[in-house]
Amino acid sequence: MNPQEEATDRRKFLQTGLAGTAGIGLAAASTTSVAIADEEKASISPEETNEVDVLVVGGGTAGHVAAIQAARAGAKTLLVERNSQLGGTTTTGGVAFPGLFDAWGRQVIAGIGWELVKESVELDGGTLPDFAKVPQRHWQNQVYTNQFLYAILAEEKCAEAGVQIAFYEFPQAIKKTDEGWEVDCVGFGTNRRVRCKQVIDCTGGAEVVGMAGFSRLREEERQPGSYLFMMGKEHQPGRNQIHRLYVHGADSTNSRTATQANLTGRKTILAKVRKEKKRLMHLQPETGFRESYRIEGETLITVNDYTSGRLFEDAISYAFYPVDLHTKTGVKPKPLKRGVVPTIPLGALIPKDSRDIIVAGRCLSSDRLANSGLRVQASCMGMGQAAGVAAALAAKAGSTPMEVPLAEIHALLKEHGQIIPGQA
Amino acid sequence: MNRKRSFVSLLLASSFVVLAVSGILAFLLPFSIQIVGLHALMGFLFVAVIVFHIANNYGHLSRYSRSRILVATLGITLVSTLLFFWQPEPVKKVLGLSRNLGPAQDRFEMVEEGLVYRYSPAPHYKMALTVRAGKSFASEAPPHVAIWLENASFYHIKTLRAPENEGEGRAALPYWDFKLRGWEKAREEAEEAGKSLQEKMEEADLDAVSGATQNSSFDPADYILPADPDNPMPYRLVLEIDSPDDDLPSLVYAVEVDNADPRAFQLLELVGYPAREEEDEEGKETWALYYVDYSDEKFAPVLELVDSALLQIDRETRGE
Ligand SMILES: Cc1cc2nc3c(=O)[nH]c(=O)nc-3n(C[C@H](O)[C@H](O)[C@H](O)COP(=O)(O)OP(=O)(O)OC[C@H]3O[C@@H](n4cnc5c(N)ncnc54)[C@H](O)[C@@H]3O)c2cc1C
Repeated sequence: MNPQEEATDRRKFLQTGLAGTAGIGLAAASTTSVAIADEEKASISPEETNEVDVLVVGGGTAGHVAAIQAARAGAKTLLVERNSQLGGTTTTGGVAFPGLFDAWGRQVIAGIGWELVKESVELDGGTLPDFAKVPQRHWQNQVYTNQFLYAILAEEKCAEAGVQIAFYEFPQAIKKTDEGWEVDCVGFGTNRRVRCKQVIDCTGGAEVVGMAGFSRLREEERQPGSYLFMMGKEHQPGRNQIHRLYVHGADSTNSRTATQANLTGRKTILAKVRKEKKRLMHLQPETGFRESYRIEGETLITVNDYTSGRLFEDAISYAFYPVDLHTKTGVKPKPLKRGVVPTIPLGALIPKDSRDIIVAGRCLSSDRLANSGLRVQASCMGMGQAAGVAAALAAKAGSTPMEVPLAEIHALLKEHGQIIPGQA
Repeated sequence: MNRKRSFVSLLLASSFVVLAVSGILAFLLPFSIQIVGLHALMGFLFVAVIVFHIANNYGHLSRYSRSRILVATLGITLVSTLLFFWQPEPVKKVLGLSRNLGPAQDRFEMVEEGLVYRYSPAPHYKMALTVRAGKSFASEAPPHVAIWLENASFYHIKTLRAPENEGEGRAALPYWDFKLRGWEKAREEAEEAGKSLQEKMEEADLDAVSGATQNSSFDPADYILPADPDNPMPYRLVLEIDSPDDDLPSLVYAVEVDNADPRAFQLLELVGYPAREEEDEEGKETWALYYVDYSDEKFAPVLELVDSALLQIDRETRGE
């Protein structure tokens, strides 16, 4: 059975299975209202157990792409997300202008991330940047995206690929097994045990990697977070810029620090409303976090690798953005030299000395300056897709991502529309 | 006697006309050794003729000098001299309208190897831009060239070198023309609104994404020779070049100059070719640059116009 057929089969199962017996299904009554299924049917056993090929933790910028890719590649995939929607910083954080998919006049990142961004812009009647045009500022080729539409579209793509989604849940304990991992997740009213062959950690701060005891890196002082909102004028999702204020010391490491960041950000916005006497027209539910933990990987991308556009032997994706380190006094992006397009090696996604676990997103193994450029969304999506491919192939072969032949990873990535560094 | 008088008077009047016109042109146009030379030398002739004029009119003058008018005229002269010498803000504003950067050494030469542009707005600051001719550079039909400075927000701040034939040049170099017109218009609007150009530009520049850019001045001197070394303002030197008699687009080369990170040699890089955008909702004309596709044969002749363009800046560091 080819991966597509397998996915379709699972889709059928999900449609009947979930909506019927397991009862997570929400019945769409009409186009204007929806009704929730019977309470009895909707209740889930607090002791859920899942056997899956790939567990993706974190459904943010990288995570949902990783999950869709793993499932499209035929892996049985579960996506656990502690918030209530997909997209992470792109949607919940409100940074709905993913970049950069192009460099020096050509597209360098495509695949599932681009498919989603493009479809959501088209559905929203927005405009895509013209990659042939020289942007005056690097961010001009970021794609203005409707965060609300994007999140729903990502859910649809997950459903189509056969990804099972578990919102409001997060891992509490992780144990290595012969076949892979046993991960205990909790959510309200839910205890879930997941037995999986591969874990993809897309939590932004490599939370699962930390829980599993692998080494992580963290700066004494981190880049500030930003709280996004709109004051005094209407927010037009997918069209206009959004107001933001720095939240210094914002830290996404745990619920206490994240709570602190949100309280501080919102308090400041309230004070601003009082002072400027303008209406608060839009507010994101959470702070956008720029930096927390990064993994110590098999390969560490240095700022020299990044700014020289080093073509790593095991490169799985391009990345493109200036070195963009935010400090207390703001940011002065340092553009890359003409023609330079950095690459991301598979080794930078794999925690040192680990098996059966891979990361994607801003927590990749890189020094701080390289990370300040690598962390952007198109690059995170590129990593997500590569991690999805590597994990799916490893799960299938009963090996670990680092042992999957690179040619197989490249071939599958290409098949799913991604651009491979160094290959025309 | 009468003939001599009228000779002196007429010569004085005619040399004065040349002096006045060349003076106004020297103020309005970018520095030109021809105009400034004409003005200075005609000035000497004028002074020489004045001597005869005074001799001829000594009687009148000595009568005037006994009147109280003398005090008033001397007073006005003294005040104007002081004002114009110390140049307080309003005077500076007037001087700011000049496109002549004062005693700048500004020279443009077409040579066998290409073209050289030299610019030295201060004794300790020498800029030279050497554009080496490529294979398709024909010195008998030299290309149209414009060189200008832009601030970090990509606003035109100063045209260093306008094309020889301005009319043809504007058509051949549409990107420079577009930038220059934008600047002229901003200036007009700012004047009408009674705003400084700076305020006007800050208004237009809503760089909300990645922090503020340094763009707070329209005075080129602030970029080239920043008075406050702790606050240097990076700028771009841009060159647009087009070979006459072909249907190919012009090409735009640029380099960023940052006095905080001074470099003696910098190569200009090809940015792209200009193309007119569809008018936006307000019907505003815009031009953008597009990447040059090196594999597209049609660009070969334009790409061969320039072999390389080197910007050289000698900043004589004054003793500590
Ligand atoms: C203010 C700001 C401005 C930015 N500007 C730009 C820009 O202009 N363009 C650009 O491309 N990029 C920009 N970035 C960078 C970019 O948005 C992020 O680096 C990128 O989105 C990170 O993606 P990620 O997948 O690694 O993490 P995230 O998108 O943050 O996703 C992590 C996900 O994991 C979930 N999660 C976390 N921990 C757990 C857990 N324990 N269990 C379950 N789920 C968990 C989170 O809820 C979240 O959904 C900006 C970032 C910020 C903060």
